[in-house]
Amino acid sequence: MKPKKIRHALTAATCGLLGVNSSDSLGEEGDWSFDSAVLYYSEVDRVTAVEPVISATRDFGEARALNLKFVFDTLSGASANGATPSDQPQTFTRPSGKGAYTAASEETPLDDTFRDNRFALSSQWEQPINRDYKTGFGINFSTEYDYRSLSANANLSRDFNKRNTTLNTGLSLAYDTVYPEGNIPIGLSSMVIDDGQANYRSEFNATRGDSEENKDILDLIFGLTQVIDRKTIMQVSYSFSDVSGYLTDPFKIVSVLGDDGRPLEYRYEQRPDARQKQSLYWQVKHQFETDILDLSYRYFWDDWGITSHTIDLRYRWILDGRHYLEPHIRYYDQSEADFYRRFFIQGESLPDHVSADYRLGNMQALTVGMRYGMTLRNEQELSLRLEYYLQSNDNTESVIPGILNDMELYPDVEAFIVQLSFKF
Amino acid sequence: MNDRPVKLIAADSYWIGSFEAMASPCELFMEVDEEAQARQLLNIAAQEAWRIESKLSRYLNDNPVHLINNSGGNPVEVDEELAQLLDFAQLCWQLSEGLFDITSGVLRRVWRFDHGSQLPRQQQIEQVMPFVGWQKLTWSRPFLTLLEGMEIDFGGIGKEYAVDRTLQLLQQHTDRALLINYGGDICTGGMRLSKQPWSVGIENPSHPDTPKGVLKIRRGALATSGDTRRYLIHNGKRYGHLLNPKTGWPIDAVSRSATVAAATCTEAGLLATLALLQGPEAETFLQNQDVQYWLTS
Amino acid sequence: MSVSCFAAKYKDDESMSVKLFLMTVVVVLSLAGCANLGVEPWQRSVLAKPEMQLISDPLSAGLDDHIYFSKEASSGGRGFAGGGCGCN
Repeated sequence: MKPKKIRHALTAATCGLLGVNSSDSLGEEGDWSFDSAVLYYSEVDRVTAVEPVISATRDFGEARALNLKFVFDTLSGASANGATPSDQPQTFTRPSGKGAYTAASEETPLDDTFRDNRFALSSQWEQPINRDYKTGFGINFSTEYDYRSLSANANLSRDFNKRNTTLNTGLSLAYDTVYPEGNIPIGLSSMVIDDGQANYRSEFNATRGDSEENKDILDLIFGLTQVIDRKTIMQVSYSFSDVSGYLTDPFKIVSVLGDDGRPLEYRYEQRPDARQKQSLYWQVKHQFETDILDLSYRYFWDDWGITSHTIDLRYRWILDGRHYLEPHIRYYDQSEADFYRRFFIQGESLPDHVSADYRLGNMQALTVGMRYGMTLRNEQELSLRLEYYLQSNDNTESVIPGILNDMELYPDVEAFIVQLSFKF
Repeated sequence: MNDRPVKLIAADSYWIGSFEAMASPCELFMEVDEEAQARQLLNIAAQEAWRIESKLSRYLNDNPVHLINNSGGNPVEVDEELAQLLDFAQLCWQLSEGLFDITSGVLRRVWRFDHGSQLPRQQQIEQVMPFVGWQKLTWSRPFLTLLEGMEIDFGGIGKEYAVDRTLQLLQQHTDRALLINYGGDICTGGMRLSKQPWSVGIENPSHPDTPKGVLKIRRGALATSGDTRRYLIHNGKRYGHLLNPKTGWPIDAVSRSATVAAATCTEAGLLATLALLQGPEAETFLQNQDVQYWLTS
Repeated sequence: MSVSCFAAKYKDDESMSVKLFLMTVVVVLSLAGCANLGVEPWQRSVLAKPEMQLISDPLSAGLDDHIYFSKEASSGGRGFAGGGCGCN
C-alpha cells in the first residue's frame, strides 16, 4: 500500500517539469498542509522563551490560498532594567507598586517581574486578479497580559517580462495598546522606593499616569524581484514605517548617579512619541550544482538617530537528496539612538527624552548556527536548528564616574536558540 | 511548410479546432470571440503538439530520441527540455519503486498486442530483459548513457506533457477559457464566461466510440490510462498492454482503464498509469492519493 | 573604524539624503539592465522549487524576526516590520 503523500511528491515533480511555482495554480486543491515549529530561546542568566507555532494553508485552486497561523509564546526570566550596577545592593519598585526586586552588589540590575504568555492569530488570503496581478489581504491579532495588537495588511504585485520581473507593494496598519499593571509611569518621574514611609502609596501613585496608552503603526513596502538566470533570483525592497503614540518601555529606568558613581535616584525612561523608520533590503538566492546560497543585506535608518547594517548568509548543503545541513551566520551592527544614555550624573539637566535600554545602544551582534533537515518517507519534513547569539554593547559615555570604572556596564548578551520544525 | 490538416469550426459560444498528433485526434476548445484569434491559437497549439511529437517520437530518424536510442552505449548530451523530462521520468521511477520505467519500451519487440492469442515464450522475454531497467542507464545531467540495446520511450508521458505545455503557451495569448483534449488527455484553463463547466464524454471500454457517460469539468486536468484498445486474449485470460518492467509480463489488471483528475495533465496521467501498474491494488492506491478517479473493469 | 565615528557620520541629515539618493541610483541602474535578464517559462524548474523561494521557510523567518525585534532596535526589511507584541 503506497503512502499517501506520493501525490505531494508527484505534484512537486510536475511543477518542476512544467516550471511553475508549487504555490501557483497547479497546487493541490482542497488539501490542508501544515507547518509547525517549537522555538526555545534562552539567554544565559536572563530571559527564556518557548514559542510553539502552527500554520495551516489551504489551496482553493487557481492560485488562491488561505493561511492561518497560531502562535503561543511564554516568557520567563529577567531582563536588564537599564539601571547601572553599584557596590551595594539596590532595590527597585515593581511596576505594580506592590513589592520590590533587588540587585546584588556589582550585579547588573535585572527586572524579573514579567512572566508572560502571549497568544497571536493571523490569517492571510492570497489570490490572482488576472494573469499579471496578484493581491492579498490579512489580519493579525495578538494579546498578552499587558499588551494587545490588532493589524490589517494588503499587498499587490504585478509580473512583467514573462514573470521574470515582479513589482510588489504592501501596506499594513496596526493599533497597539499597552496597559501595564500599576498603570503607565510618568516619564522622567523619579521611582519611589518603599522604605516603610507612611505615604508610600500616594507618592507611588503620583508617578503613575493613565491605565493604558496606544500606538499607531503604518508600514509600507515596495519591492522588486528579478530572475537573473535559471538558478539565480534577486530581490530589492524599500520599507517605510511610521509609528506614533506611546513608544516608551514602561518597565525601564535610567540611573541618576553621584560623582562617585553610586545611584542617587532612578528616573523612568521617556522616548519620543513618534518614530519614522526606513530600510533598504537586498537578497540573492543562487543554486550551485545542488547546494543553495542565500545572502541578504539590510540597511536601516530612522529619525531616532539609529542606523544599522545586517548581513545574513545561509548555505544549504544538500546531502544525498533527502537530507541537508545548513550553516548560518548573521552579523548585525547598530548605532545608538540620539537619546540613549547609560546613566546620568547629578547636575546634568535631564533632556526631554532618555532611555538606558541597552537595545537602543551601540552594539554588534553575531549569530552562528546550523540547521539539519530531512524529508521523511511520506514527504513530510523534519528539521532541527541550533544557533548561538552574542550581542556586545559599546560604551559611548565620555565620563565614567567613580566606582563604575571597576564594573561591567555593558555585559554581553548571549543566547541559545533551538528550534524543531515539522511540515506535514 | 506543413501539410497536416487543421480544422476549425464554430460551436455555441466557442470554437473547436482539430488536428492529428501523437497518433490521436486532438481537439482544442476556445472561448474566444474572433475567428482570427481562434485560428491563431489553433496554429500555436498544433505547432507545439507537432514539435513535441517529432522531438519525442521513436519513429523519426534524426530526432533526439532516435540519437539516444542508437548511441551504441555512448553518452549523449540532451537539451534543457529533454533533461527536465528525464529528471521527471527518474522521479516517477523512484516514486513508483521501479514500476514506471521509460526503458521498458523494448519489450514491445516480444509483445504484440493485436487482439490475437499468441503469447511470447518466457525465453524470448528473458532475452530482452537485460535491456530493461532505469537503474542500468546513467543519467548525469546533461549526459544520458544507455547500455547498447536499451531504448527510452516517452510514450507514457509525452501526450500529457504536450497538453500541459500547450496550455501554458496558449495562456500567454489569452485569458479566455480553453480546453485541450488530446485523445482523452484533457486540460482546462481560464474561466468560462457562462460559468458552466465543460462537458466531456467518457468512453465505454467495451464499446469504444460510444460515450458511457458525460463528465463535467470546470478546472484542472483529466487523463486516462488503459488498455481498452490493445490487448491479447489467451486461454480466456485477457492480457493488457501495460507491462511490469521488473518481470516483463503484463500487470495482472483488474481494471481496464483508470481516469484521474488532477491539477495538471502530466500528474493525472502519471497517477492513472501508476494506479493500473498496481494491478489488483489500483483502487486502494487511488483512494490513498485522495484524488477523483474512475476505474472501469 | 570606531563605532562612534560611524554613528556621527549618519546623524548628519544632509549626508543621509545624499546616501539615500546614491543607493537608489545604484539600485535603479543595476535594474535598468534587467530587460534582458530572465528565463523562458520552460526554464523555471529550479526556480520553482520550494527551497529556492525568497522566503523558503516563513515560519522560521517569523520566529527570527520576533527574536531580533525584541533584542535589537531595527526591524522589517523583507516583509512587514512585525511587532505586534510588547517585547520592544
